[in-house]
Amino acid sequence: MSQPTNAAGQPQNDPKLPPREYTHPGLPEPENKDYAVIGKSKPKIDAREKVTGQARYTADLKFPNMLYGKILTSPYAHARILSIDTSEAEKLPGVKAVITHKDVPTLKYGISPARWDENIFCSETVKFVGDKVAAVACIDEETCYKALKAIKVDYEVLPAVLDPLHAMDEDAPQIHPEYPRNNNTEIHQDFGDVDAAFKQADYVRTDFFVGNRTYQAPLEPHTATSIWQDGKLTVYSSTQSPHYFQYYIAREFGLPMGDVRVIKTYVGGGFGGKLEPTGLEFAGAALSKITGRPVKMFYDRAEMFAHNRGRHRQYMKLTTGVDKEGMILGVHADFIMDGGAYTSLGIASAYYAGAMLTLTYEFDNYRFDMHRVYTNLPACGAQRGHGAPQPRYAFEAHLDNIAKDLGIDPIEIRLKNARRPNTVTPNDYVVNSCEMVACLEKARDVSGWRDKKGHLPPGRGIGIATGSFVSGAGYPIYRTDLPQASAMIKVGEDGTAATLYTGATDIGQGSDTILCQMAAEAMGYTYEQMKIVAADTETTPHDFGAYASRQTLMSGAAVKQAGEEVKTQLLETAGQMLDFPPEQLEVRLGKIFAKDNPDTILTTFEDVARTFFVRKGPLTGRGSYAPPKLGGKFKGAPVGTSPAYSFAAQVSEVEIDQETGEVAVLDVWDVHDCGQVINPALLHAQVHGALYMGMGEAIWEEVRFDKNGKIANPTLGEYRLPTALDMPRVHSSLVPSYEPAGPWGVKEVGEGATLPTMGCFRNAIFDAMGVSVNSLPLTPEKVWSALREKRKADGEEVWDPMTCECYLED
Amino acid sequence: MQAIADKQGVKRYLVDVTVNGDDYSVVVKANTLLVNLLRDEIDLTGTKKGCELGDCGSCTVLLDGKPVDACLVLALEADGCDVITIEGVAQHGELDKLQRSFADNAAIQCGYCTPGMILSAKALLTRNPKPTEPEVRAAISGNLCRCTGYVNIVKAVMAAASGEVTA
Amino acid sequence: MYLPDFDYYAPESLAEATALLVELGPAAKPLAGGTDILVKMKNGLASPSALVSLKNLTELRDIRWEPGRGLVIGALATHNQIRDSEVVQQHFLSISQAAHQLANNQIRNRGTIGGNLVNAIPSADLPPILIALGASVTMVGPDGARTVPLESFFTGPSCCVIEPEGEILTEIVIPEQDTTGSTYIKFGLRKSGALAVVGVATAVTMDGDVIRKARICLGAVYKVPVLAEEAAKVIEGKTWSDELLEQAGRTAVGCCLPISDIRGSDEYRRDLVRVFTRRALKRAITQGHV
Repeated sequence: MSQPTNAAGQPQNDPKLPPREYTHPGLPEPENKDYAVIGKSKPKIDAREKVTGQARYTADLKFPNMLYGKILTSPYAHARILSIDTSEAEKLPGVKAVITHKDVPTLKYGISPARWDENIFCSETVKFVGDKVAAVACIDEETCYKALKAIKVDYEVLPAVLDPLHAMDEDAPQIHPEYPRNNNTEIHQDFGDVDAAFKQADYVRTDFFVGNRTYQAPLEPHTATSIWQDGKLTVYSSTQSPHYFQYYIAREFGLPMGDVRVIKTYVGGGFGGKLEPTGLEFAGAALSKITGRPVKMFYDRAEMFAHNRGRHRQYMKLTTGVDKEGMILGVHADFIMDGGAYTSLGIASAYYAGAMLTLTYEFDNYRFDMHRVYTNLPACGAQRGHGAPQPRYAFEAHLDNIAKDLGIDPIEIRLKNARRPNTVTPNDYVVNSCEMVACLEKARDVSGWRDKKGHLPPGRGIGIATGSFVSGAGYPIYRTDLPQASAMIKVGEDGTAATLYTGATDIGQGSDTILCQMAAEAMGYTYEQMKIVAADTETTPHDFGAYASRQTLMSGAAVKQAGEEVKTQLLETAGQMLDFPPEQLEVRLGKIFAKDNPDTILTTFEDVARTFFVRKGPLTGRGSYAPPKLGGKFKGAPVGTSPAYSFAAQVSEVEIDQETGEVAVLDVWDVHDCGQVINPALLHAQVHGALYMGMGEAIWEEVRFDKNGKIANPTLGEYRLPTALDMPRVHSSLVPSYEPAGPWGVKEVGEGATLPTMGCFRNAIFDAMGVSVNSLPLTPEKVWSALREKRKADGEEVWDPMTCECYLED
Repeated sequence: MQAIADKQGVKRYLVDVTVNGDDYSVVVKANTLLVNLLRDEIDLTGTKKGCELGDCGSCTVLLDGKPVDACLVLALEADGCDVITIEGVAQHGELDKLQRSFADNAAIQCGYCTPGMILSAKALLTRNPKPTEPEVRAAISGNLCRCTGYVNIVKAVMAAASGEVTA
Repeated sequence: MYLPDFDYYAPESLAEATALLVELGPAAKPLAGGTDILVKMKNGLASPSALVSLKNLTELRDIRWEPGRGLVIGALATHNQIRDSEVVQQHFLSISQAAHQLANNQIRNRGTIGGNLVNAIPSADLPPILIALGASVTMVGPDGARTVPLESFFTGPSCCVIEPEGEILTEIVIPEQDTTGSTYIKFGLRKSGALAVVGVATAVTMDGDVIRKARICLGAVYKVPVLAEEAAKVIEGKTWSDELLEQAGRTAVGCCLPISDIRGSDEYRRDLVRVFTRRALKRAITQGHV
């Protein structure tokens, strides 16, 4: 297991000697923990607007002369468009424009430049039920629906690929002619020597698992209002990234980015589903250009499900070799991903699926094979945790199987293999801070693992799993040398308020709040005096937006720099005013004092800021952040790189109804290593939400299809979004941690807590009943079925409900 | 009910409804839903549309004191009724204790479910000022939240009920 | 989403309502809580020419106990009204509990018992317990009133015996009876807002440990709610035991013909019928009307 150097030639620590102290040669030491503004549970900056109904989301905006628009979609999974007749629709009163592929740019787009494979509207074939064919702009919503019905499209229905496992068959229908055998992407990565590791291993086990298609299901439907005026376009959108929207809209319409303004309003959740343009922006822009009026486009709930871009279903074969102590020697992950009809963010999802498996446990030898295939189903993309949660479920289940076979306690085998700080993964991720061991130990202790494991009554079980996630992707989605994040702060002329301008995107997670806390901390100001203007490509400086758990670290770093620039200028002026060396002054919560005499307030932020303005004009600070060059040299090496990684362990306790298979979740414990915390209340809230989403995917949620590839459950009810009555007790706690690569030592939390959840439920069920459910979701029926199979295998009598006497006629 | 037909023969009806204490008379088509009356005609956009099928509770309003999905109530059915929307919860600029409690307990993330949640909770506390946790969960079980796992929402309602939060 | 256009009427009396429905013809539909029909209309599954709102027929909201007749529930009583009604709770807590398990709180504040019955979806939560307790329903039409036992009210998925021209469901009567216990167990895939995968209601008349009479009604496992009479026969006249109830459960499986859909396979549903028939019988036997 010795790893003398990593790919970058840096020395690594011996993993058997966990260095628990935070020592990072060449990196700054932890800062003073006595913070004034960060580390405190400040109420959200937008709380009042949100509790009073004042917060305006995109659908709440009205503009003079505004039209409403909708997109016509395909009723078939795969079909050739023979003709489109819009004449009847155009005749309807109130219809102002009907457009098809003939009226819009035909440049292919996609969020992932590796495969631009989408058009605004289909021209030759439709590739899934929900593929975009035409759009209308009308005087009201009702007329839109009527106009859509009046558009006549003649289709020739083609054979469809609905089973991803047969998408690559020789005789399978071809979805994109450019991608033979429906092979969207394939990955083959090999690190160390897996074959040798398996030969050396005392025990090698293979398991097979299947994930589920799930959907982000934000409560707020996608909406975009486009205003094309004088050759310039303004789009108000429910988006996670104004920047990527601006970039792709400008590219599509051949406009300079400066002529496209994207403004985020309040956003009702995204979870990955609002990261890429949804089609509403493109169609709306075209309709606005044609009609000369603002056009509000929107999806209803079923259309959201059809547009999708949710979690990929993965088929996961895992083989692991261990020694007799349970030390992992080598792992082979061999996956197939159901990508749906387009690439979306799926290339990255495919890399993430395998790449993130190397994080929580240390092993040198790793092989990852992946095929992401096209199918005639809605495209899958990035959902909280990106490609990683399902493989994590599979690996944690696989590891529990190995632990059981070897007679090792599940926590023990994890502790043995747990990643240590200052290590490098076989795929060249540099891990600085890492409290995996502490997370496991604390999870064990707070859950009462030792008292419970093996001692629970029949039907009760306890399970554990781990997870780790990036704190921002090391590289942006398209190739560019723009910094990851930037920020400006403007202090008001009298110093009583300051405004943070940032492109960072608050979609509910609270970035506006914590970035204001960070700005105030860096400036020596108060949170209560902060205001924020965010996520408007015209008024705020560039930032890539809300994805890959990047904003606390990356946007935070830019904000910190901007705040420090304000502080430096402020103290310089204060020094002049007080005739005092500025380097000996400090400012905290708006009060300026000598560093060696903090009890005597010499002057205030406000007074000095006012003087600054009088003497020099606006007091502003600027900051930007670009991570260091990260990652190895192999194909796909940039995916999964990050300045820092969070780590987590979760334990769940369940009770199984042994006759119905119903799983009652009693408690869940999450223990996180997420670096310095900026706002504890919001941080734990992120854990709650991530865990909720993970639980939903573990037990309830699944996008199902009928035999024609149409979604069978496109409602929040039938999709089974868990209700308040379904949620168990949730306990979120932290281990002390400091990340040298993050401002103040921060790391991510919002996605990481989704990763362990599915595995920890599977393992709890496994512990309770000795049955393994190898596909998600872990529904009562699957548990029921597994229990019956087990009873049969154990030689018990199992009554067959299909063979009894029938008293009814059909 | 008296109705006037338009050029296409579609009838219009007059609805008299009291919203947040104010009387409105609005002419609507029969197919106008209460949620659209509120959002489009009276510009009370705090009432959100999430699913339009009664699954999510984002459009919850109090109709004669009871929480209902405004997406499943015809505007005409609210004729003569008293409607409270989220905009009617704070009084004279003072937040209700539930609103304050949601803010204090980090019970808000994206905020899209928040208006409906607060109204469901408000109806519960009016009927049952000291609910148990299961009662709180039952009362908000028709309000879906995708962000919070309900943990802090339940906490916020319990805190408001126990008097830990003062308006 | 939108509702297709329709005309709207809000008559002031039952007579006026039935007359209107006759006049407007079968394309006009009565509107009670609207939680079913408006969803159907939004989904393009119904497009009535007119909706005749029953909201002014306040007399149909009443819930009362009539000695000699039993529990009378007006067709326009909402689910939450039934859940919260002291009269219901006093006589048949099981009905109150069944109403509480239906849909979610907002829907229960609008949806009515009459609408729930007339909508006639096989997984509806109220029919099993009402049938188990021997309820009858009264309909009023242009030709007067008629009463039928609820067990013969349903004719298929979304179909019932109500005449499309002018007939309105007015009340549900649960007769005075000597049952000693009843209950409804719903198995849904979430704890709120879920349709039943299987619903089982039981009502029993006990004489000590002897089951004198039993009625078992199964929901969501046939085109209509179905009485498992053969299963009842297995246990009537016998001293109850877990083994006996298991036998009744197995027999009840023969009284259903479930389909496989996204909520569960037929095999799973059948086994759930066994389990919940046994559990529902035991609960009614040992705990009374719950």
